Amino acid sequence: MAIERDSTELADESIIVVTGLHYYYLDRYPALNDVSVEIRRGERVALLGANGCGKSTMLKVLGGLLFPSQGTYRAFGHEVTEDSLEDVQMSAGFRSRVGLVFQNSDAQVFSPTVREEIAFGPLQLGLSREDTAGRVEDVTSMLGITDLLDRPPYQLSGGQKKKVAIASVLAMGPEVLLFDEPTAALDPRTQYWLMDLIEQLRDTGKTIVHATHDLDILYRIADRCLVFSEDHRIVAEATPEQTLADRDLLLRVNLIHEHSTLPRPPRVRVVSSEC
Amino acid sequence: MTRAAASAATPARDRLAVPAWLLQHDMAMCPCGCIGKRKKGSYLAKTIQGGSKLLQQVMFGEDVAKARGLMQRVDPRVKLLSLLGLLVVAGLSHSMIMLGAMYAATLALASASALPVGFFVKRVWLFVPAFTGIVVLPAILSVVTPGDIVLTLWHWHGSPQGITQQGLVAAGRVVARVAVSISLVVLLTLTTPWIRLLAALRSLGVPRIFILIIGMAYRYIFLLLTSVTDMYQARQARTPGIVRHDRAARAFVGASVGALLGKANQLSEEVHQAMTARGFRGDVKTLEQQRLHIGDVYYVLAVVIFAAAIMIGDHILGH
Repeated sequence: MAIERDSTELADESIIVVTGLHYYYLDRYPALNDVSVEIRRGERVALLGANGCGKSTMLKVLGGLLFPSQGTYRAFGHEVTEDSLEDVQMSAGFRSRVGLVFQNSDAQVFSPTVREEIAFGPLQLGLSREDTAGRVEDVTSMLGITDLLDRPPYQLSGGQKKKVAIASVLAMGPEVLLFDEPTAALDPRTQYWLMDLIEQLRDTGKTIVHATHDLDILYRIADRCLVFSEDHRIVAEATPEQTLADRDLLLRVNLIHEHSTLPRPPRVRVVSSEC
Repeated sequence: MTRAAASAATPARDRLAVPAWLLQHDMAMCPCGCIGKRKKGSYLAKTIQGGSKLLQQVMFGEDVAKARGLMQRVDPRVKLLSLLGLLVVAGLSHSMIMLGAMYAATLALASASALPVGFFVKRVWLFVPAFTGIVVLPAILSVVTPGDIVLTLWHWHGSPQGITQQGLVAAGRVVARVAVSISLVVLLTLTTPWIRLLAALRSLGVPRIFILIIGMAYRYIFLLLTSVTDMYQARQARTPGIVRHDRAARAFVGASVGALLGKANQLSEEVHQAMTARGFRGDVKTLEQQRLHIGDVYYVLAVVIFAAAIMIGDHILGH
């Protein structure tokens, strides 16, 4: 069952459709409770919620790493199940089109050198060594980490590891990028670098899904927000402006404290036509 | 101040009910500035410090492996194969002169490879007494190796017993062989980056999955070492008094082994997910491709000639 880009798929803009999804850890502890989501091509969606609300689990389901206890998940028109991903072509098609950047970069950067790390994905997908080496060069020069290529991961800082993790996913050329807490534990400069990158990726038509509780970056990284409650349900769906304007909602889902100051929308510079 | 008094002192607004003892500014140090009893660190502290030193040594080793020395220019596969050949030659040599010549050659190579000779010698001779000296010690005695007594230690039914000349020669030979062998291995590992060594093993037929597991174990051992150091430092930061080190250390080791096992398990699950997300289906492919150069051919020729010379010299001296 290969994933092919045909005209029917392009007509249907919803590339990810999740319906009535439940997920339980150890068959007992709920992590997702009747979640339904539809994500359109080229969208930037933020999954918002307090710690332990199920955001990371949701991303892993979307990344085809966890499989729902109930409900269905369809990506690019095909149902994604443990069984369907056993199919070599389906697996290669899905993995090359959906990339997940983990919150813990140490888990994601597992190869002995940065070069091997970035080459890992393309090589697994069957690209030749020459093509893979070309992709490694391209993606490292795009992210400005060429000097790290022959370094072992334990010599890298947290920010550098995050850049390598992103490069390792981008090297596979995915259409959908899933970011788990992208700005967590990053210094301000790396945070801004990452937000700029996300904006540029959006401009290239990539679909981006973030799991975060960092409201300060919301205006820059999302077009639409899905808010998770602490009982693992989606309780709101709105633009960043609408979401941040609903203080009661944010208090109820434990995203802010009553003394929190919410970020303001970015100022839009009005250029006068008169001199 | 009592607990009630402390609670009363805090405003009713949603402030934390801070207990009275937390509000006291106790110095907890002798105000006169006198120095108390000192106690040496336990085996635990030494082990953890040893772990940190290991990390530093590995960092140093990686720097040396990237230096532009003689051995660093040779292809790792060639180095690995020549190492195996020279280990066989060292194992077959009987002459102390030839073994001495081999050791001198390793020192010369270390020096030509930008390795500090003192550090190289220390690294080798740190292992030799520990692993070989104790093992061969009984061999120098007449009860194991009969021969001409050079030092009498006791008498058995009237005949002198002790250290024999033959025993000393045999033990010296074993120690020399081990020293040469360890020198060769240390020379290889210090002049070859870890990743290239793994690639060389792979190209010599070691199964891919085995190489992957070694590579990942090497990668994550540092992460777990950092976790252990963090746990120990967190404990140390909250241990102001004098404690009975060994008992407390045993309790700490027990608790941290459990915690570390849990962390390692969680990490391994995440690593597997990260690999699966990038298309891993059980067969690993790597980018590394190595090509032989003319310098490698010269190196092989030099090693073959040297090994032949050692074998011929050993044969002549043996007779």
